[in-house]
Amino acid sequence: MDGEIACQSCDLLVNVAATRHGESASCPRCGCFLTKLHDDALHRVIAFSSIGLMFLAFASSYPFLSLSSSGVESAITLIQAPFALWSKGMPEVAVLVTAFIIAIPALVLMMMLTLCILITRGRYHSSLLPLAKGIFIGQKWSMVEVFLIAVIVAMVKIAAMATVTIGISFWAYGAFAICFTLAASSLDRYQCWQKIALLAIK
Amino acid sequence: MHVRKRDSIQRTLALLITASLLYIPANLYPVMYTDALGSNEASTIMGGVVLLINLGSAPVALVIFVFSVMVPSAKLMAMFYLVWTVQRHSPLDPRQRSTLYRVVEFIGKWSMVDIFVVTILVALVQLGGLLVILPGIAAVSFAAVVILTIIAAESFDARLIWDNMDEKNSVN
Repeated sequence: MDGEIACQSCDLLVNVAATRHGESASCPRCGCFLTKLHDDALHRVIAFSSIGLMFLAFASSYPFLSLSSSGVESAITLIQAPFALWSKGMPEVAVLVTAFIIAIPALVLMMMLTLCILITRGRYHSSLLPLAKGIFIGQKWSMVEVFLIAVIVAMVKIAAMATVTIGISFWAYGAFAICFTLAASSLDRYQCWQKIALLAIK
Repeated sequence: MHVRKRDSIQRTLALLITASLLYIPANLYPVMYTDALGSNEASTIMGGVVLLINLGSAPVALVIFVFSVMVPSAKLMAMFYLVWTVQRHSPLDPRQRSTLYRVVEFIGKWSMVDIFVVTILVALVQLGGLLVILPGIAAVSFAAVVILTIIAAESFDARLIWDNMDEKNSVN
C-alpha cells in the first residue's frame, strides 16, 4: 500500500500515507474531502449500526404521532405513514418515501454491520465487494435526517388545526438517525476499500 | 482511482431538461388538499409557505421556502451552469466550480422535506368528516424533480471541470 489516492473530484494524485488517527485529508487542489482515519472505525461502525437497527425496530412498532380534535383521534406508526399515500392513489411516492426513510437506511445499516464483522474476522470473503458498493450507493439515498425535519414542519402546520402528540417512536427514530449518521461517518470510503484490498492479497 | 462516468454531459443534460419540465407542474398544481368541515382547499408549494407565514411560524416557512423553492431552482441553474462551462472549456476558477458542485451534491436530498411533510399530513390528518388532508398531483412531479436532479448531479463527472485546466497549464 503506497498511500496514493486519486482525488474523486479532480483526479489529482495525493499521498495520504501520513494521515494519523483522528485526522482527515482533503485534496490540495480542489478542496474535496479525501479520507478520514479512525483506528477503531470498524468497532465504531459495528456498535452504532447494531444499536441503530434496534432503535429502528423499536421506532416501527410504537405510535409515531397522534392527533386529536374535538374528541376525534388518529394515531400513526412509522410504517403506516407511507401506506396512507398508497391508498390515496399515489403508490409511486409511497414506495419512494418508504425506501428513503426506512428500507434503504435499514439495509445500509445491515450491510455496514455485516461488512465490518467480516473484515474484523480477517479473512477475504467474496461478498465484501458487493457489500461495500451497496453501502456507498445506499448512503446517498438515505434521508433519515431530512425526514426528522419534515416531522417538525408537519407538526407546526397542523398545530393550528388540531392537537398533535409526539409518540415514543418519534424519539426512537431520532436516536436511530443519530446512530445512522455516526455509523455512516465512521466508515470511510477509502479506508474501507484499502482494508478489503489488504484482505484480498493476503 | 475511480473510473470516469460515461457520456457524463449528455446524460446530465438529458436529466436536467426532464427535471426542468417537471418543475413546471410541480409548482402550478396543488401538492395537497385540505378538507375541513366540508370546505375543500388546495395548496401549492408556494401556497404552503404563505400559509405558514400566516400561521405566524416564520422560521418553519423559511425552512420550506429554502428547501422546496430556492434549493431546487438554484440546483437546476447551478447544474446547467456547470455543464455549460465544461462544454465551452471555460477557464473560470475551477476550484470555485468544484465547490459549487459539492454544494449541489450535498443539498440535493434536502428538497424531499416537502414530500415527507405531505406524507405525514396525509397519514395523520384523517379525522373523519372533520379534517382530512389528501395528496395532490404536484407531489408526484416534485418528487420526480428532486430524484432526477440527484441523479443528474450523480452522473455529472466533476473531473471534467479540471480536464480543461490540465490542457491549458500543465503545471500539476
